[in-house]
Order: sequence, then C-alpha cells, then structure tokens
Amino acid sequence: MATNTSIDVDSDRDGSTTAADADAEPCLRTEGVSKSFRHVQALSDVSLSMYPGEVVGLVGENGAGKSTLLSILTGILTATEGQLYVHGEPVEFTNPREAAEHGVSLVHQEIDVLPNFKGYENLYLGRENDTMGLLNKDEMREEAQAFVDELGLDIDVSEYARSYSFNEHQMLEIAKAFHISRDTQNPVILLDEPTSGLEEAGRELLFEKINELRDQATFVFVSHELDEVLEISDRIYVLKDGEMNGEFEAESATSKDLQRSMVGRETASDYYQVPDQTTEAAFGETMLTVRELRHRDDIGPVSFSVREGEILGIVGVEGSGKQRLGRILAGALPATGGSIEINGTEVVPDSPADMVDAGIGYIPKDRKSEGLLLYQSVLQNTSLAMIRDMFGRLPFLDMKSETKATEEAIEELNIKTPGPKALVHGLSGGNQQKVVIGRWLARETPVLVMDNVTRGIDIGAKEEVYRLLRNLTEEGISIILIGDEMPEVIGLSNRVAVMADGEFVEDPVDASPSNKPTEEELIDRMI
Amino acid sequence: MSGEPTTNALWRWIETQREERTRQDWIIDLGPFVMLGSLVVLFTILSGNFLTYGNLVDNVARNSALLLLVALAGTFPILQQSIDLSVAALVNLSAVLTVILVSQIGVLAIPLVLLAGMLAGFLNGFVFAKLKVPSFLVTLGTLSILNGVALIITGGSTITFRNPGIRSIATGEYIPGVPNLVFWALLIYGATVFLAFRTKFGRYCFALGENESVVELAGAKVDRYKMYPFVLSGLLCAAGGLLLALRISSASPDVGEGLLLPSIAAIVMGGTALTGGVGGPHRTILGVLVIAVLQNGMNLVAVDPFVQEIILGIVVVAAVALSIDRRKIDVVK
Repeated sequence: MATNTSIDVDSDRDGSTTAADADAEPCLRTEGVSKSFRHVQALSDVSLSMYPGEVVGLVGENGAGKSTLLSILTGILTATEGQLYVHGEPVEFTNPREAAEHGVSLVHQEIDVLPNFKGYENLYLGRENDTMGLLNKDEMREEAQAFVDELGLDIDVSEYARSYSFNEHQMLEIAKAFHISRDTQNPVILLDEPTSGLEEAGRELLFEKINELRDQATFVFVSHELDEVLEISDRIYVLKDGEMNGEFEAESATSKDLQRSMVGRETASDYYQVPDQTTEAAFGETMLTVRELRHRDDIGPVSFSVREGEILGIVGVEGSGKQRLGRILAGALPATGGSIEINGTEVVPDSPADMVDAGIGYIPKDRKSEGLLLYQSVLQNTSLAMIRDMFGRLPFLDMKSETKATEEAIEELNIKTPGPKALVHGLSGGNQQKVVIGRWLARETPVLVMDNVTRGIDIGAKEEVYRLLRNLTEEGISIILIGDEMPEVIGLSNRVAVMADGEFVEDPVDASPSNKPTEEELIDRMI
Repeated sequence: MSGEPTTNALWRWIETQREERTRQDWIIDLGPFVMLGSLVVLFTILSGNFLTYGNLVDNVARNSALLLLVALAGTFPILQQSIDLSVAALVNLSAVLTVILVSQIGVLAIPLVLLAGMLAGFLNGFVFAKLKVPSFLVTLGTLSILNGVALIITGGSTITFRNPGIRSIATGEYIPGVPNLVFWALLIYGATVFLAFRTKFGRYCFALGENESVVELAGAKVDRYKMYPFVLSGLLCAAGGLLLALRISSASPDVGEGLLLPSIAAIVMGGTALTGGVGGPHRTILGVLVIAVLQNGMNLVAVDPFVQEIILGIVVVAAVALSIDRRKIDVVK
C-alpha cells in the first residue's frame, strides 16, 4: 500500500513562495469536499489550499477525480458535501460565471476560443461592452489591447482568433481568465492539461508566462506529465480514487514519489498481474496473420501474427497510426492492400460486418460514442453482435439465447448491474466496458482488438479488467492491445510492437514476464 | 401506509420507481393514457352522442384505422432517428393506383399496389442510406414527386371504380361487429409489434436510433437496415391507400391530405421520441386513439374546422416538447 507521503505544508514552507508570507490566508481553499454521482463516489473529503503567488500542481490517474475537482472549483458541478472558501469567505458557486467573478476560472484542455471572432471579441465574449445593444467595438479593442499588453502577453487582439497559433490561443484564454476576474485580487487560474497540444518551444513559452504572471495570480497546473508538473509547480497535490492521497513540495519530490502516490502500489508487476501472464509454452496455434496490410500511403505495410492466448501490445505516439491499424482490423477503415488471415481463413477487410464474421471483435477507445447504446439495456448491448447469426439468415431474434448469454456475461465478467434490463447508462465506466467485452464473448469471438481498454475507468475496475484479460488468454483468446499508457501495455502484453509513421519500427519485442522492456526503451523507438 | 412505509411492498415499489424514473419518463409512459381518459370524459360530458357504439365503431375506430396504418408506417423511420414525410403522398398515389388498377385487372391490383408502395419506400431508403441525404429532405422531395405522379394519373380529378366484391375487403365484416377496416388495421398493428420486438430488423431499428456507429462496429449491415424502415413505411402506406380507395370506391390525388401531421403527432404522443431509439409501434396506437378521439370529439361539439387545425398543431408541438429526449438534443436540429 501507499506509504504516507503527506507532509505538513505550513511547517515545511521555506522562503521560496514570498507572496504566501505576505498574505498567509489562502486565496482558495476547500474543506472536506465530496461529490457523488448516482452510483459513483467521484470525490471524497478533499481539502486543499492555494496561496497567492503559488503554482500548485494537481496530478492523478485517469478517473482519480481531477476533472470533478476542477468542475467543483469552477462552479460547473456543485459539491455534495464540503465547503469552498475564497480569501477565507465561504462561497457557493452555481455556475462558472459566479466562480469567475470570485476570481476562479478554468482554461480548458480543448481551448475554447471562437475562431471566427477577433481576439478582443473573444476576450469580451458574454460580457460585451455595449451602449443600448450596440457594441462599442473600438473601445473594447483598445481596452483589450491595453489589458493584454499590461499582462505582457504578446497577442494582437484585432486579429481573428483563427490566425492565432496554439500558444496564442492559450495566452488569449489566460488573458480571458484574468479579464473576467479583473475586479478581484489575485485570481486563481486552473490550467487543465495546458501542455497537451504544445510542442517543446510552446511549452517553454507557456512556463515562462506562468512564471512572469505568478505574482499576479495563483495557477493550478493539471497534467499527466509528472516532470512538467515538478518543473513548474511549488507544491503538488496527488489525487487517487477521489481522495487526496498526498501533498509534495516540488523541490524535494521526484516523479517516482508522485507515481507511487498516484497508483498506490510499489511494483507495477503485481498491478498488471504479470506472474499470471500466459507464457509462450501455453500458446496455441497461430490465430491471426496480417501480411503487408496497408491503408493508402498512411498506414503500413504492417505484418505480424498472433497466436491463441497471446497478447500483442501496440504502442506509438499520437498519429503513429496505431489506432488506425486497429480500425482497419475492425473493418471500420478500408485496407487498400495486404491480407488478413484468421484461423486459417483469408479475409479482405471491407466492412465491420466482414471482420465480425471472420472473428475479430473491436473494442473502441471511445466507449460512449462507439462502444455502447447508452440508453438501452445491458441485454440489448450484450447481444448486439450475436443477433447477426441467430437462426442463420432468418430475421428472427432468439430471445432465449440472448437472455442466457447476457446472464452468463453478467456472471462471468462480474458486471455490477441491477439486472439485464437495466440501462447501460447507469453503470460505472468499468462495468460499461465489461459490457462491451461481454458483447464479443457472447459471440465467441477468438480475436479481440482493444483500443485503450481501460480508458476512463477507475483503478479498481482497471485491475478487474487486467484479471479478465488474463482469464481470456487462458481460454485461448488472442488480444491486440493498442494503448497510450505505456506501463499498462508493457505489463499486460506478451510482445510489444512500436509503431511510428504507420509502420512497425521493428518486429514486436519480447515482453515475457522475465524480460519486460522498459518504458524508455520503447519511447526511444517511438520517436 | 404512512405508518410503516418500508414494509409495504407496493409502497417500496413506488419508492424505487420514483428514484429510478425521471418526471419525463412518467409523462411519456402515462401521458397518453391520462390524455385519452380525460378526452373521453370531456367529450362524454359535452356530447351525448360520443359514448355510443355507433360513434365509437363507425367513426372513431374506422377513421383511426387509416391513421393507425400511416402512423405505424412513420414509426419505424422515427425509431431509427430518421423521418418519412412522404407518408401522406404515398397514400395518395396508392389510392389512385388502386382505383386505376382495380378497374383494369381486378384483385391482382392489390399486390401490385403494395409492391409499388414498397418500391417508392425503397427509393426513399436508398437515397437516405446509400447517398447519405438527410431523410427529411429525401422524403420531402418524394412527397412532391409522388403527389405529382398522382395528379398526372388522375388529371387532378376524382376517379372511381365499381367492384363490390373487392370493395368488401374494406367495407365488409369478416368478424361480425368489427368493420374490416379495423380488422386489417389491428392485424397489421400486431405484425409491426412483432417486427419491432421479435426480429433483428426491429432490434437494429432501436439500436440505430441510439447510435449508428456502435451498431456498425458490432457487425450489422447498417445501410441495409437503414433502408428497411422506409420500405416498410411504403408498404404500410400503400395498404392504407388501398383500403381507403376500396372503402370509398374512388380516389382523388389529395385523398390522404392532412394525414402527415396527425400521424407524427400520434407517434410522438405514443412515446416514440423524434430523437429515436425509444418507444415503438405498440405505443403508437395510443397516440392514434388520442388524435382520433380529439378529432371526433371536436366534430361532435362542432368546433370550427379551422380552429381544429390550430388545436391539432398545438397538441403536436406540446407532445414533442414533453417527450423529446433532451439527452440527445444535440442530434436534433
């Protein structure tokens, strides 16, 4: 279990955060904040403080509650329990605008700037300066330029936002955050994954600006990149499973400390259940052979084969083609060359129907938009792939067999649902994902292609999914595991392929329990 | 009950229902019943003729038979989140074709008319599913085309035929006391309910209305299943037009006018949301009854027919507003 890494802030505070000394009162504080959705406790008893002039890091795994916390701080959600304080005053935000007027605003992960509006129009959006409904454009533009200049941000507000670079968009967003809360002293600006769309140079520029502006505001920096968080922050909070799991001084903490606090485990090996991994001796026949598969000039040629009971991991940076390879195997993206052989039968991937018939089940990255009929029942979702084969070509449904298959899936995959008739919408993310997997098991599909199978589900459910994958391979199912989380792919796979520019960089490397490649080794190949 | 609420099974059931269902669920499930009930009470009070066998069977049931067929036709496209606006035009053309063909080839006209309806529906479906044109545009276009064809065939006037044998298919009584029109409508109603809940087609219809890419990735031939509802719609409307023409031994190119709006109202009121995926043909009959009783009642108490139009319009908009699935509001524009 996690060692208690929490430290007392006040006693350990050195002179580095000067503003905090001048005003010891936190500009934003939460006390015992909890939030539960219908079946899920997203946050429990979170208390934190932010002082003027600080950059506070906030890290946690997917599903740890970061987004929920940000939403509560900015009035998008209301806490079920607990209290927010701004400069010591208890406050209650019912919408983002109220939060902004108290000085708390969020700069989104996906920048929301209207491209066909000019810079100053974006800056004033929703709070336009008008005389009886007529916009005072010149006045706004001049004021906006002066405001931006004063912040030291290098943007021309009379340009259309579509001509801005990503960095300039971000600066505009930050300016907007300052602008909304210009009447408050020391605004708190929450940056949600601000570096995710930035190149190295853009990242440096952003950090520079944050450092320049830190005497005027408090920044909260949310990111998956632990090194970045350590670089820019003074203090870092770690969320795990909706709870505050640790608080670190950036100067003395390492990314390993953060990682351990986030995941709560000493070794990755136990987490990914490596000892239970199927070994080569237990593999069956070759199940899937892909030869020279390509899609136009973007993807391929890719060749590989997977045996019964084997997990082949595929990693690569965004845009490396790993996801499109998954879609080709699913039939959702047409192959323009090469061949696929499943269980000795050659298939030309032309439509998802062909690939489903051939024996490939695809578990998409975005469960909600591509995986599930959210407002239909567990039964209708589970049987969706199997009904195609009922009574051969006859148009009838076999209600008995679909009920049986659904009950078996609920039992075997341990899907927590009130019953087969319950709507999938009400299930937790992990249980929803099990329904998607169950859909393919109900059809006795021998090859599963999974794209980020544990995306957006909580840690407990992840472990269950890992256990499930181990069980599936024991039964001889072959899995192609496409993933963005390197440790997960490495931990789960028997072999790992690295993709770059639409091709495998080399033949998949061995990842048997005693011979796991390190993350660094693979990253070297990715770039 | 209030003394020991937790031990009472009924009370517990009500509690869980309260917890699990939103107010909108209640409106959709109970709304049509409440509405039907209140209309019946209202018109019984206002008109002594309302609650008589003659009125209920000869007027309400017989008049609603055609509306039921058209509304059932429209239900499936709406279930899969598309819409067929050409239903009334299909009825027009089929009625006209029936009159022409019956006088030429007699009873053989029946399969031919039904086939023609399916063909027209297939064209709707083909353009919608294969050429990816929004269904309301396609069917708005075919609405105009079909009406045009009906006008050309008839030259714009009413045409008639004489064939008492064939006519009795619509006007006779296979089961004493039940007009054949009602008999056919109920038979077809049963068939559509079977289609919706016991066939792959029905299941995919609901699923497509919820999320098309999920269905496609699950291996269904989506394009084909997107076409079928329109073919079925063509078939049912043709049956409607056929029965209508047989009943009155004549047809004019505007004989089905005024069916489109009430049919959509009936579908939505029954509980099939325009946002797709929920409801079903089994519920459409409720909406049909509400509309039929409303129209019949307004006639009995002599509401100005122009005012009736306004009331019907209000009822449609109100029904949509109450039942629309706001979770999917982004989809409907």
